Amino acid sequence: MSRVMDMKQMEQKLQKADRKQSRLYLFCNFMALMIISAYSALMLSPTVQKVFPAGGDSRKQMYMIFVMTLVGCVVFTIYALGLFFRHKSGQLGILMALGASRRRLAPGLFREVIVLSGVSAVAGTIAGFPFVWIIWHAFRLLLVDSSDMVLTFDFKCLFISLLFLLLVVGFACLTAWRYLKKTNIMEVIREEHINEPVKEPGRWCGPVGVLVLLTGAVLGYGAPVACYRWLQMYPPEWVGVFYAPVFVGLYMVMLHTVVHGWKSHRKNPYKNIISRSMMKFQGKQTVNNMLVITLLIAGGCFAIFYLPANGISALYRYASQPYDYFYKYQADQNVPDREAVETLGREYGLLFKEWKECDYATLGIGGNHIIEEDSQHYHIEYVPMAEEAKVLSEDAYRILTGQDVDVKPGTYLNVTNQDETSLSVNESAKEFTNMVTRRQMHTKFAGYLHYDLLAEADTTCCVLDNEDYAEISEGLTEDWRGCFVGFNVDGEDSYPFANAFYHLFVSAFDETCERPGYYDRVQKIRENEAGKTYWGDTDDMATISYELADSFMFRSFWVYQPDFRILNQNDYLRNMAVMFMMFLFIFMVCMITALVVCYTRCQSIALNNRYIFDDLKKLGASPAFLDREVRSQCGNVFRVPALVGMLSMFLLFSMILYANDGRMVMTEWLAMGICLCIIAMIGGLIYMVYRSCVKVIKRLLGV
Amino acid sequence: MLYVKELYKSYEAGKNRYEVLKGIDFHVAQGEFVAVMGPSGSGKTTLLNCISCYIPFDKGNIKLGGMELAGMNEDTLAGIRNTKLGFVFQDFMLLDGLTIRENILVPRIVQGKVEKEAEKLVGQLAAMFGIEHILDKYPAEISGGEKQRAAVARSLINNPLIILADEPTGNLDSKSSRAVIETFNNAKEQMKATIFMVTHDSFAASFCDRVILLKDGTIYRQLEKKDSRSRFQEQLLDAIKEMR
Repeated sequence: MSRVMDMKQMEQKLQKADRKQSRLYLFCNFMALMIISAYSALMLSPTVQKVFPAGGDSRKQMYMIFVMTLVGCVVFTIYALGLFFRHKSGQLGILMALGASRRRLAPGLFREVIVLSGVSAVAGTIAGFPFVWIIWHAFRLLLVDSSDMVLTFDFKCLFISLLFLLLVVGFACLTAWRYLKKTNIMEVIREEHINEPVKEPGRWCGPVGVLVLLTGAVLGYGAPVACYRWLQMYPPEWVGVFYAPVFVGLYMVMLHTVVHGWKSHRKNPYKNIISRSMMKFQGKQTVNNMLVITLLIAGGCFAIFYLPANGISALYRYASQPYDYFYKYQADQNVPDREAVETLGREYGLLFKEWKECDYATLGIGGNHIIEEDSQHYHIEYVPMAEEAKVLSEDAYRILTGQDVDVKPGTYLNVTNQDETSLSVNESAKEFTNMVTRRQMHTKFAGYLHYDLLAEADTTCCVLDNEDYAEISEGLTEDWRGCFVGFNVDGEDSYPFANAFYHLFVSAFDETCERPGYYDRVQKIRENEAGKTYWGDTDDMATISYELADSFMFRSFWVYQPDFRILNQNDYLRNMAVMFMMFLFIFMVCMITALVVCYTRCQSIALNNRYIFDDLKKLGASPAFLDREVRSQCGNVFRVPALVGMLSMFLLFSMILYANDGRMVMTEWLAMGICLCIIAMIGGLIYMVYRSCVKVIKRLLGV
Repeated sequence: MLYVKELYKSYEAGKNRYEVLKGIDFHVAQGEFVAVMGPSGSGKTTLLNCISCYIPFDKGNIKLGGMELAGMNEDTLAGIRNTKLGFVFQDFMLLDGLTIRENILVPRIVQGKVEKEAEKLVGQLAAMFGIEHILDKYPAEISGGEKQRAAVARSLINNPLIILADEPTGNLDSKSSRAVIETFNNAKEQMKATIFMVTHDSFAASFCDRVILLKDGTIYRQLEKKDSRSRFQEQLLDAIKEMR
């Protein structure tokens, strides 16, 4: 029965005995790397990159939440490493006390941390890909599928995971080295039992924290607006620092929660005193963890709120549009005429009614134009040929909309939507220009007309006096003329017809019309005449293709994209699928990370204080009392970050919707209502995890 | 064997500096069993930790077997801790993942010298301290007294110059305490071990040859056992009363 053992074998045996602690560390590392790997793989995949417009808000939001998740994962892995070493330090300390030198301990310790952190990090990085693949394909299978949804990876994303992996392994080695370098062996031995109390602030901390948080939100949101409006410059990247008070405020709120709690203890100062003191004495880690959980829940909410905020207004717009089918085309295109459309309709058993069509002219319109001085600064200058405008005569507008209109000669009315939230408004035009004859006609803004289908995203729509219209449009060639058409279905509409008509319609256009709506022909002529290259003719402008007529890009940005109600309603989710699914994925990732952090934090608070529960049992504490203490402790870790994260994001979202146009319209109220329902559902999910966490901890503590 | 001269140690907490040891002078002869007593905060454990080189000290000299410990590098100190010193802690400090046999062998494993002879020595020590039956058990499976006797066996495995014991009976009931103290006595008698023990327990201290009383970081008084153990304990209790 020889039991001769060397240092390596002893270390291996000790590691085997510590596998519970190692498992927690492995799990945390694995989860963090899997999340980072999956997020970066999806975020940088060509599938997502081609749908999220470069420089657009949605892409910025996606990156912003990624950074938050990254921070969360960094804190999370550092925390897991700390837990691992707190336990390990007792063992290291004993070996040091018994004469093991740094040199003797180093190989085994480094081997252990490199293997644990390396293996878990590599496994997490690899697992990220099947994780994202499974979720994405589950979305495709269960929710929505489209040609845009075909998932491809750009393996450059591994660079981010690799950096994170190196950070994890490097930090693990650094921590190991820090422990080995300690000269106070007693400190190493007792590390496991050292508390980390936070400095106790006054009861003002929480309320002031809320104020600082709100101030940060207003400052952060307002700073870019101030740059645009008052400084006439594009907001620099660093303008994000104005959000810094949000983090300070959040920290203060969490600190208050840990140190004082939010309930008044005047009546019963001893209520929950055990759980409060347990939290307080591990305050530093608890506050940090709660901060990360809050940020992750806020990030998740921000992502999931995107869906109703964007979906509701579009679906409402489709439902309320006055024509089942509404489209426009350039006059020189061979688009199916009424007879051809009706023939196609009959093939699908459809009859049409209220067929309306009218001509329009595309003119150059004067306006205040942004002149870039350098990459950062700009000034606004009046330019006679600022942009394209679709111009209708009074009669044409009357025919199409059924609205009575009277435009005085020498003036124009600008068409906007019912909510007056359209971005294509122009109140400053002094002239219209016929782009063929270059004849100019002086004009003056005389007010607004409201008609959603004409209030386009990219082009201003104006109505002129009949005679003015005839005068200025005289001599225009067919490519500067066009036609609006609208009609309704007599009876129930048919999606197959809409789909067939859509593809027939797209196929009728030649390559001169294969351009996005933001490609402005007037700006191009102006730039070319000034000897410059129009940006739309460079690679900077995203292009669209007839071959991808069902893609998100095409349906969102084609200049003649028609408004077919049934097609839009049915295909909305499909058209927006990549964007929606990406945000849904972000939500899932943020929530999973937040809940894992909550779960491990609760576990570690309980396990680190196991001896307190044992003592309480010896002192005769009833199971009900112990149960209450466990619940109170876990409750704080789950409840406050969840409430603060969800509500602050709800307020921020409301503020954004309000600040967009200085008011809330009906669809925005509806979106906020849906967001509240989502909050309730997230709350339910968090509550379920909290319940299961309490159950596990009670089992661990034998309560 | 052990000479401590003009030993000073202070701690800093925030802006405050606390002098814990204020010029301690004493020596321990070979084969002597010496205890240090004193009220809480008198510097007993700090003194022991300085001698053990677990914590650095501010100034003074500690000579062990003719070697000056001040200024030694970490590797040399580790070697001294491993071969010249044996340790017994209040909370045993056994490694939970190893059996008692393996725990006793840890100083040898660290040294890289686990031979048949070491295993034989484990058997002898276990027999001497009455822990043979638990050699293949894990710390979680045995009593506090057994753990501490195993810790004493561990402290002797490298045949050190001196055993340093920090409150070895502090976590034990009276029966286990007595067994542990008898273990020390056996070590002293049969292995000629030198023992330096910090304790609060006048009963445990009454087994020693000499007791150093510490007060506020200085040596208040030293008492030597001249006649019976019980008489010595009475003397100790009187001296402690007087010190207060």
